[in-house]
Amino acid sequence: MPQEYETFARDSAHLFGGKEVVMTLRDLTPGRRKYRGINVRGVVSRPPRPGEAVLWIRSVVGNRDPAPCSVRIVEELPETFQGLPYSDFFEAMQRA
Amino acid sequence: MPFKDLREFLARLEKEGELQKFDEEVDWNLEAGAISRRALETDLPAPFFEKIKDYPKDRRMVSCVLANLKRIAIAMDMAPDTPMRELIEEYLRRQKKPVKPVTVKTGPCKENVLIGDEVDLLKFPVPVIHEGDGGRYIGTWHLTVTRDLNTGWTNWGMYRHMLHDAKSFGVLAPAPKHLGTMADQKYAPQNLPMPVAVVLGSEPITTFCAATPVPYGVSEADIAGGLRGEPVELVKCETSDLLVPAHSEIVIEGEITPGDERDEGPFGEYTGYRSGLASPKPVIRVKAVTFRNDPIFTFSCPGVPLDDSASVFSVNKSAQFLDELRSKGLPVTGAYLIVEGASHAIAVSVKNAYYGIAGEVAHVIWSARHGLLTPSVIVVEDDVDPCNLQQVFHAMMTKCHPGRGINKIEHATAWPLIPWLSEHERKHRMGARVYYDCTWPVDWDRAELPVRQSFAECYPKEIQEKALRKWRSHGH
Ligand SMILES: Cc1cc2nc3c(=O)[nH]c(=O)nc-3n(C[C@H](O)[C@H](O)[C@H](O)COP(=O)(O)O)c2cc1C
Ligand SMILES: [Mn+2]
Repeated sequence: MPQEYETFARDSAHLFGGKEVVMTLRDLTPGRRKYRGINVRGVVSRPPRPGEAVLWIRSVVGNRDPAPCSVRIVEELPETFQGLPYSDFFEAMQRA
Repeated sequence: MPFKDLREFLARLEKEGELQKFDEEVDWNLEAGAISRRALETDLPAPFFEKIKDYPKDRRMVSCVLANLKRIAIAMDMAPDTPMRELIEEYLRRQKKPVKPVTVKTGPCKENVLIGDEVDLLKFPVPVIHEGDGGRYIGTWHLTVTRDLNTGWTNWGMYRHMLHDAKSFGVLAPAPKHLGTMADQKYAPQNLPMPVAVVLGSEPITTFCAATPVPYGVSEADIAGGLRGEPVELVKCETSDLLVPAHSEIVIEGEITPGDERDEGPFGEYTGYRSGLASPKPVIRVKAVTFRNDPIFTFSCPGVPLDDSASVFSVNKSAQFLDELRSKGLPVTGAYLIVEGASHAIAVSVKNAYYGIAGEVAHVIWSARHGLLTPSVIVVEDDVDPCNLQQVFHAMMTKCHPGRGINKIEHATAWPLIPWLSEHERKHRMGARVYYDCTWPVDWDRAELPVRQSFAECYPKEIQEKALRKWRSHGH
């Protein structure tokens, strides 16, 4: 079975256009480890390119865009994104 | 006698017809959530899952543990049919007599201890609760323990935790919630990691108290002792000095480092919607997990029309608001955070209404802790039972003048989860509030006030008795 992921985005337009983007992917491989999150730098394509992992995009309220995409992972990133100081919590919360 | 642990409580619920065991296989991925949501929407027993897809036989799950009044009354060791108003008053009485916890050497939650590299949270059946959630939610019915850096005050709160991977999960607990306040004001300025313990499946009152709005500096553990009439037994964590209930099913120990954030959400919330707040949030990195043999994983399934948070808040938040109103000397006879209103609306009954009392009541509610989560206040006279939605709605529609009775406050602080906020308002926490004055105007001639037409109010006693006798003779 091909590798399959999903990601959540406010404005999915920024994911397209062939450029590298940083995102969290949720691994949809069935079984006990499903939905594990990984941070990556990758290139998203719609329509999906053959041979690449399938990617589904969900909105900030979780609705799944029915059009499939694919993702080519350029590199896996550390578990922590460049963090904001805790005092910026609200800004971070609202920034999504 | 209070319950020793969750298992004792579940056994009692089963005896009362309030628990349903599922011995067939159930999927942690959506199916357990769907079974729970159905239970909540049609008043079915709390589901207990004994066989979970992808997991060995010794992993079990339960949800909807305190999702109705009857279960809360049982948890408080009261008659299962105790009416809401009595439950609220009894809660208030006990809350005012806190009992400090005791520390014990060990307890059932230490039957299994996994530290460091041995930790794998995916060995627990962490559910995807609703389609469209941002991930698996490990914390939706639990208590989260943190300790103040300077005073040693220990706080318990219930805050959603979304699993990121085998060793980390997020938290939503912005100020004025105590975890957020502690982190922002105490640990972050010194750039220190904050130890955290997340406790699943402790006895029902301890979990209930994690969602009770006590002031900054007050330990929910003391309140739990008061409600139980017996101290809570606590045991020390393996990797920090935090103390956790000894009889818990699962204890997850970790820490939050200032600035460590990861995308979290969305999640189907207590508001009844999956809306907004998908964003980077603090991360809890796990250092140890301890658990009982055959651990029971607890969760709740928020949604519409109600869920565990609605039922819990209809008791403990109503009590808190009632106490606040009384302490201001207002002639209040009852207060009820309407269970169908997802914490957004409270009904308050008053006697001897005077001009402007509705506004006074509303402003006391809004200045109380977490008052900003309840932007609608409905003030009725004391011939209306505030716990009776039918009566409250009737009073709103028949006594509240659409012009002078509905009072809008256009500029007020918002709680960002409120669904009617625009994205802009959510971002800047710009809200609004309203109170509905359902009292007769003071300047109306008392002798000419409309007279309510109910069985109890418009027939002489002997006619009422006659009517009842006749109905009884026909078997009703
Ligand atoms: C099932 C359930 C889930 C909750 N989830 C959250 C949450 O994700 N974030 C939050 O701030 N409050 C949440 N609450 C409300 C808090 O638990 C409640 O406001 C509590 O008083 C917070 O504790 P604190 O006053 O010590 O901060 C939840 C309550 C319940 C019953
Ligand atoms: Mn608290």
